[in-house]
Amino acid sequence: MKQSLTLVFLLIPLAFAAEAETAQELTVQSNLIAELLILGGCFFILAAGIGMFRFPDFYTRLHASSKLVTLGGIGVFGGAAFAFLSLAATQRVLLTAVFFLLTAPLSGYMIARAGYLQGLKPYREDNSVDEWQACGAESES
Amino acid sequence: MVLTIALYCLVFAMVLTLYRVAKGPTWGDRITALDFLTSNLAVLVVVVALKTGFTDLLDIALLFSILGFLSTVALARYLMNRRVIK
Repeated sequence: MKQSLTLVFLLIPLAFAAEAETAQELTVQSNLIAELLILGGCFFILAAGIGMFRFPDFYTRLHASSKLVTLGGIGVFGGAAFAFLSLAATQRVLLTAVFFLLTAPLSGYMIARAGYLQGLKPYREDNSVDEWQACGAESES
Repeated sequence: MVLTIALYCLVFAMVLTLYRVAKGPTWGDRITALDFLTSNLAVLVVVVALKTGFTDLLDIALLFSILGFLSTVALARYLMNRRVIK
């Protein structure tokens, strides 16, 4: 783990050197709003990755992945919509953002429902409340 | 500068999630990690399109988003009742 971290930090100056050589295209113009939105979205996605690594349970990992990836993806797509100059690129990025906003919570819901119906347990079963079983709902197959 | 920091954040999150795909005790962890990876790949393609100024990559981002959603739903339905379509 520590060796991979040192490898990542050794690779950072190479990427900045490669960025200096890249010629600036006319299709992208970065501004302050786009940079702030992209940095915020990537912060949330990095937090989701750390949560996937650290959390102890299936349901807590699903919580971190589903919610934080939705918020971070909307942030990055909104920042990209501010940064592109042409209208067609902005429309495509906004279409991707709307699709992402509709489908990311839905896939999280499908995974949680399948996991519950297959009988995956929370890591602290004595403190948790099973509301679905308390309502008396049967598992539909 | 900002886009390079964004790319490092995304790739580091993907590396941490690949550990969860390999290690994960149950299949639910693996499906969650694969859903996270495909969503993250769509975001990564958009950041690469911003960095290179090549706007045709945005169609590929939309395609990755659709494929990730459909594969996640198909895997969840298959593992819930052993078939995809009733």
